[in-house]
Amino acid sequence: MNTSKIKLNTENIVGIVMFIGLFVYPLFVSSYQVLNLSYFLSMVFLSMSLALIWGFCGIFSFGQAAFFGIGGYFYAILTMNIGISAFTPVGLIVGVLVGAAIAWVLGYFMFYGGVNDVFVGLITLCLTVVLETFMGQTAGSEWKIGEIGLGGFNGIDGIPTISFGSFMLTGINFYYFILFILLVVYVGLRYLGISKFGYTAIAIRENRERTKLFGYNVPKYQTTIFAIGGGLASLSGILYATWGSYITPSSFGLTAATLPVVLVAAAGRKNITASVIFTIAYYWFSQSLSASGSEYALVILGLGLVLVILFVPEGIVVALFKWIDQLVFSRIRKKPTIKLKEKEKVHGHSIN
Amino acid sequence: MNQLKNSNIFLVLTLLLSLFLAACSSGSSASDGSEEKIKLGVLEDVSGDFSLVGVQKLHGTQLAVEEINENGGLLGKEVEIIAPDTQSDNTRYQEMARKLILDDKVDAIMGAYSSASREAIRPIMEKNEMLYFYNNQYEGGVASKYTFATGAIPEHQIETLVEAMMEEYGSRFYTISADYNFGQISADWFRTIVEERGGEIVNEEFIPLGESQFGSTISRINEAKPDVLVTLLVGQEQSSFYGQWALEGNTDIPMATTVNMVQGYEHLRYEAPALANMYVTATFMEELASENETAKEFVDKFYEKFPDDEYVGMEAEAQYSGVKLWAKAVEQAGTTETDAVIEALESGITYDGPAGPVTIDPATHHAIRDVYLAYSDKEHNITFPRKWEAVEPYWLSTEKGVNLAEKDDFSQYTPID
Amino acid sequence: MSIFGFIYQYMDNFAFLILAAIGLAVIFGMMGIINLAHGEFIMLGAYITTLATMAGIPLFISIALSALLVGIYGFIIDRLIISKLYGRTLDSVVATWGISMIMAQGMLIIFGPSIQGVGTPLGSLSIGGENYSVYRILLFVIAIAVLGVIYWVFMHTKFGLQSRATMQSQEIARSLGVNTNKVYSLTFMLGAAFAGLTGGLYAPTMAVSPSFGNSFLMQSFVTVIVGGSNPLIGTFLSGGVLGFVNSALNMIWGTFYGRLGLLIVAIIVIRLIPLGFSGLVEKKLMRGRDA
Repeated sequence: MNTSKIKLNTENIVGIVMFIGLFVYPLFVSSYQVLNLSYFLSMVFLSMSLALIWGFCGIFSFGQAAFFGIGGYFYAILTMNIGISAFTPVGLIVGVLVGAAIAWVLGYFMFYGGVNDVFVGLITLCLTVVLETFMGQTAGSEWKIGEIGLGGFNGIDGIPTISFGSFMLTGINFYYFILFILLVVYVGLRYLGISKFGYTAIAIRENRERTKLFGYNVPKYQTTIFAIGGGLASLSGILYATWGSYITPSSFGLTAATLPVVLVAAAGRKNITASVIFTIAYYWFSQSLSASGSEYALVILGLGLVLVILFVPEGIVVALFKWIDQLVFSRIRKKPTIKLKEKEKVHGHSIN
Repeated sequence: MNQLKNSNIFLVLTLLLSLFLAACSSGSSASDGSEEKIKLGVLEDVSGDFSLVGVQKLHGTQLAVEEINENGGLLGKEVEIIAPDTQSDNTRYQEMARKLILDDKVDAIMGAYSSASREAIRPIMEKNEMLYFYNNQYEGGVASKYTFATGAIPEHQIETLVEAMMEEYGSRFYTISADYNFGQISADWFRTIVEERGGEIVNEEFIPLGESQFGSTISRINEAKPDVLVTLLVGQEQSSFYGQWALEGNTDIPMATTVNMVQGYEHLRYEAPALANMYVTATFMEELASENETAKEFVDKFYEKFPDDEYVGMEAEAQYSGVKLWAKAVEQAGTTETDAVIEALESGITYDGPAGPVTIDPATHHAIRDVYLAYSDKEHNITFPRKWEAVEPYWLSTEKGVNLAEKDDFSQYTPID
Repeated sequence: MSIFGFIYQYMDNFAFLILAAIGLAVIFGMMGIINLAHGEFIMLGAYITTLATMAGIPLFISIALSALLVGIYGFIIDRLIISKLYGRTLDSVVATWGISMIMAQGMLIIFGPSIQGVGTPLGSLSIGGENYSVYRILLFVIAIAVLGVIYWVFMHTKFGLQSRATMQSQEIARSLGVNTNKVYSLTFMLGAAFAGLTGGLYAPTMAVSPSFGNSFLMQSFVTVIVGGSNPLIGTFLSGGVLGFVNSALNMIWGTFYGRLGLLIVAIIVIRLIPLGFSGLVEKKLMRGRDA
């Protein structure tokens, strides 16, 4: 397989068109719309982190919300205690590293201990809810780190925006900042998917035992990927916290923990582009429903998810990609090697 | 196989799209963007855990605005409500607050039920210099240039309640409260006021939000044998306490609260005697209709417009009066511009509400209100043994030196800082 | 607190954990499906009991009705949705999440944010100056009885035999002539019925609202996680241990630590014995047989 050339298929074209679209979007809409889209984009990192660990490596985690919250809280406590705006970019980087480090420790604890499959999901779910329960009860004035009260259920507000010197990242600047990071991370993940490291991760997803017998240190790969995922989720949390100047324990809640899983599964978990598009679409969709004030909003959202999973199990965006691929590219080029892979999947384990 | 799959994708996409369009067209019918209307943004929970109160408050707004429009509107213009559903979710509050301010360009915003949701949107209001009414009972202490809190606060509810309970029953108090800012700060208030008056807090317990099992808490209360049990429980799950208390608790101990019955009508939702022997200090509740002619009028109007509603609680009235106060200030200012309306509100404006006059205290942006002591007996019949007239929100101005008419402020003060 | 007081608290917690978890445990253990709509199934049961009692049907018949109707509802959901997802465990997470959203909001639209509750029957018992709810003691007895029923169903009926076979190896069971799809359907129905029963049983003790099920969710997941895949042994043991941890921490430090304790025990257990208590017991039994 030739890795250096970008293949002409729907996913890549959509990916490129999407980034161009996002780049010119602020030219056509109000500043509110831009602000709003920067919120959606900051949540995309959370979905990507799960698409990475689950889609690539087969690690099923409910814990991305935990790293999201850890990132947000860590950034808030660190930057607010220091109180110098020039420090905020450092806070961002350190926050991401801390998220990754905690994920690495947790991953080490799990993967080297032989915890796998659905049990990773369960352990991370518990961890997430522990964090929510704990942060939820910190409303008392005795819960302070440095100068900053943890605030319990109300959370922390007044979190500083990221600024480089006197250049504050607000409004359109914040949007392009996020978009830039998104582009870097997206390209990075796409590249990872076709690198040797990425193929090893995919091999682990498809068959852990066999990969191990080939001499790969499976827990090491799993832990590394899990740590990268933790860092990405943490980045998402920091961006979210700066967007609203606000973070609360509900970002660790049961709902928050399951939402990324639902989004990535419905989009098509083995495809990064799909989860990016679907996350933006979902947030837009659910926000529009909420803004309409309709009491049917949540019913429609629920129904949509059930329909998607029932009728297009591989994920709606991925299914669309494939369909357009067939329609447009099958005439230009011979069918790619997807067929073989699908056959193999039938023999794979049901839980991965 | 592929053929089938393709038709599936289309089926799902069409279904989703049509559902979405159906929902949006049913919800936001009146946003044709005509410049002639005055826009009032409302942020209340129509779904989720807090919808029990959120729906009452939304209806209170709709009733008030309908009356304003029937009487020729405001400054000759029609008032339009824009009310997204905040779904009991604090992030939604932020998203929707931004949308109301930046996209819909509303003239004022009313809303939020829990303290957490208020604190989520208050910084956004301040940053965008948006006039904001928090028409809700709360833990007090918010001093903000743009925020007007027309609901009951500790001066109205806790000082009066402690006074009445100490005179009647004794000085040993036991408090159980919801474990978040509202509960923590309210418990601090109780401690401060009880101790000031020479009483004693025998124990203070904080219950995690969403808890519904109270066995161990009840046995601790029984063991402590306080003179008064203060319950500051929030949300549907926590209100399960009362059913369990009626069976396992020592029901000779009177209960006192500032939130239950008046908001979530627990006395109607639970079979008696779950809330027997319970006191609450209220600025309004539906049963006041039997005492007070204007209250009865309000309750009748409410049920006429919303015949399916189950209760007209304290916050429905607070929201209604809040809208009326705002309307009065807009008329007085002759414009909807924020600074002018704030100035009008700070002129000591008064509205004769369903349960007595509501006056804005210029220094604190809180309300001067009448307060009633309500009591529920074994059959859950409500009586009003006592009334305090024109209780003032003095604490921020006398203890903390806040004077918003003179000096801007954007913080929340608590009794122990 | 008196000794009996502690025992009472323990019984109360044990019953709550068992009843909260049992429907989830049956579905997870036998089918491998994580049913995120479990809380909503419980909520549905609570509504049925409350509405039926309000309509004049005696409480205990209403509770039985809850189990029956939620069971039937579960069967319909299975035929319509879940049956299409057999063997696709994680897709069922998305589907059940969607179902839970529809049910909670649907209930809110139909009945509003709350309905009038039914009082707790049977009054209270006074021992040593302390009051104890008789109904809560009954709940403990029912929790034990439910475990008994599960034992009987899975060990002494043809369905039980087939479902255990299916759980061990779906392919072999099928090749031996077991209609595994039917077994799955019935299992899902049974799990739903238990959830309905739980809802009905707790309806008279709690506020009935569309978020009723949320009270059970965390406890039910923790119990199932700690218990492992065997709904009988696992649920019983984890209910026993967690009930003790919860009651003790509740008594010493208060409600918050009781809750935190549950979660921390769960994390430790998954790390040390990933298959939960039932995995541990089964391993011991296997070893016994081999020797």
